Amino acid sequence: MDAARSHERPSWYAAVARVRGLAALAIIIAFLLWAHFASGIPVFHSDVSAEPGWEAFRSGYGVGYFGEDGQFVRAVQNGYNLFFHTHKYAARFTRKSAADGENSCASCHTVEQLAYSFVNSDRFDPKLGARVSFEDRVRRCYAGSIDGFVPTVYEPAVRDIRLLARAVAHHLQLSEGALSKEN
Amino acid sequence: MPQLAGRLAKIALLLLALGSLYAVALHKHAQREEIRKAAVALTPGCTEKLGRYGLAPGKKYASSYVMERTGARVELRGYSEEDVRAIERGCNIIDDSQGALATDPWRERWNAKRFIRGNHVSCDHCHRGIGDLQDASGNRLPGSNSLAASWTMGDMYDRFTGLLLPYEMRQMQCYINSSNGYKPNVADDVIRDVTAYSRFLSAALDLKIANHYEEQGIDEIPASATLKQGDDYIRGEVLYNEKCQGCHGLQGIGLEVNGKLVAPAVAGPNSWNLQSRNNFYFVSTILAGFICRNMPPGQESTLQHQDCRDIAFYISNLPRPAGDRQGPVVALQQQLLMRVLPPLLRLTESSPSKSAAPAAETRAQPVLGHAE
Repeated sequence: MDAARSHERPSWYAAVARVRGLAALAIIIAFLLWAHFASGIPVFHSDVSAEPGWEAFRSGYGVGYFGEDGQFVRAVQNGYNLFFHTHKYAARFTRKSAADGENSCASCHTVEQLAYSFVNSDRFDPKLGARVSFEDRVRRCYAGSIDGFVPTVYEPAVRDIRLLARAVAHHLQLSEGALSKEN
Repeated sequence: MPQLAGRLAKIALLLLALGSLYAVALHKHAQREEIRKAAVALTPGCTEKLGRYGLAPGKKYASSYVMERTGARVELRGYSEEDVRAIERGCNIIDDSQGALATDPWRERWNAKRFIRGNHVSCDHCHRGIGDLQDASGNRLPGSNSLAASWTMGDMYDRFTGLLLPYEMRQMQCYINSSNGYKPNVADDVIRDVTAYSRFLSAALDLKIANHYEEQGIDEIPASATLKQGDDYIRGEVLYNEKCQGCHGLQGIGLEVNGKLVAPAVAGPNSWNLQSRNNFYFVSTILAGFICRNMPPGQESTLQHQDCRDIAFYISNLPRPAGDRQGPVVALQQQLLMRVLPPLLRLTESSPSKSAAPAAETRAQPVLGHAE
């Protein structure tokens, strides 16, 4: 039966079967070469898309203090994008479809509140029975308020929000534990 | 049938192993929670430091230091009892990372020494004054490696790594390179408590977020700050033997008397590794700056810039462990050098360090927290 079936297969099949390991490797290498050199898809880019309002925010909050275009400023800009356009820049953590409303951090918070939250973070929360860092708070927002998924603590979607908070806290000249007027 | 029984037994064994791991994890979590709730026995240095800054549970916190210096009462958010304990534990870790002053280093220091190779390094050796060095009048000293100022400038671009370096990751680097040790998890209590302490210092000194303060980092000494603009190994050796070896030993391997640390190693297996920023060949300005500002104890700031650079150059030529990214060949080479050179050199030494030991102990005790 097998012998009969092998007679039915084209002649190239046996040749490919003999070198199928090499063939798989060649396909992977070809894909990687295509992805890097021919696809045109940017693998890494350091520029951050400028959303409406960024330039006004940048000059209003003195972000240029940290250098006109340093890594910190780009991270703050990414933080700005995440904060005001969460559905666009952290889509994978938001569990939202195109039909849902566009929730963002800015729907609930202002950047000033974010800065005050930052300088008051790493404190014991009696409701949770634990000391909660700023990153933990952001991750809880992704999971709870945005009904999404929890990013890791190293994820830029968390880190850049902390950097945004830091830049605003610097602009407001806050010290650790600074109390807002509401408090 | 026997085949099925065998498979079921394997599955049961696997489930038992996983269940046991889960039970161990639960037990460890419960143990950690218990430690977090336990009262903290402060080191003498931390009792003085935290008492001076008036750390106590309460709804509001107003730093006595700020009031004393400016006359103004700045009200900040207060600390819960849990926060106070975290700050206290963080201070203890800085002051006594090895747990030499603790009755149970695991319970009192989260066993921070498991992340440190060797038995000399403590955070306070570089971050002196328990991370907040001041003169007798309470003035904060420029370039004193302040943890408070370092926290306010955390998350910024770091020129040595090329990264936006969060404060927690900077601590990890200290464990890996300056302590030649291992990386704690970012959420480990050993990291979080030190962050809590640094943030408290920042509140107590009323530092503003992301402002640059002169006490941040070390006041580095580049070659351009010297007349000669070149470094002299031989001169460094002579100066080291004259000024440093009485405490740190002829080969820089530190001094212990009756099992107690008198002066930490500046070379050899108990010292920082080749990828630490203290290593002259990695960053040539930092160790020189540290020496000029802090050494010798009792005669701080008496050495010339050129002296400090020459001593730093000499020290960095003594064998020390390889860094975490230097590969097995360099690691093996350094291990061989650390083991072969000291006994060979000892044969050629007239051993002045032995006679200098008691004097060194007397001189170093008030300076090093571990001496008592």
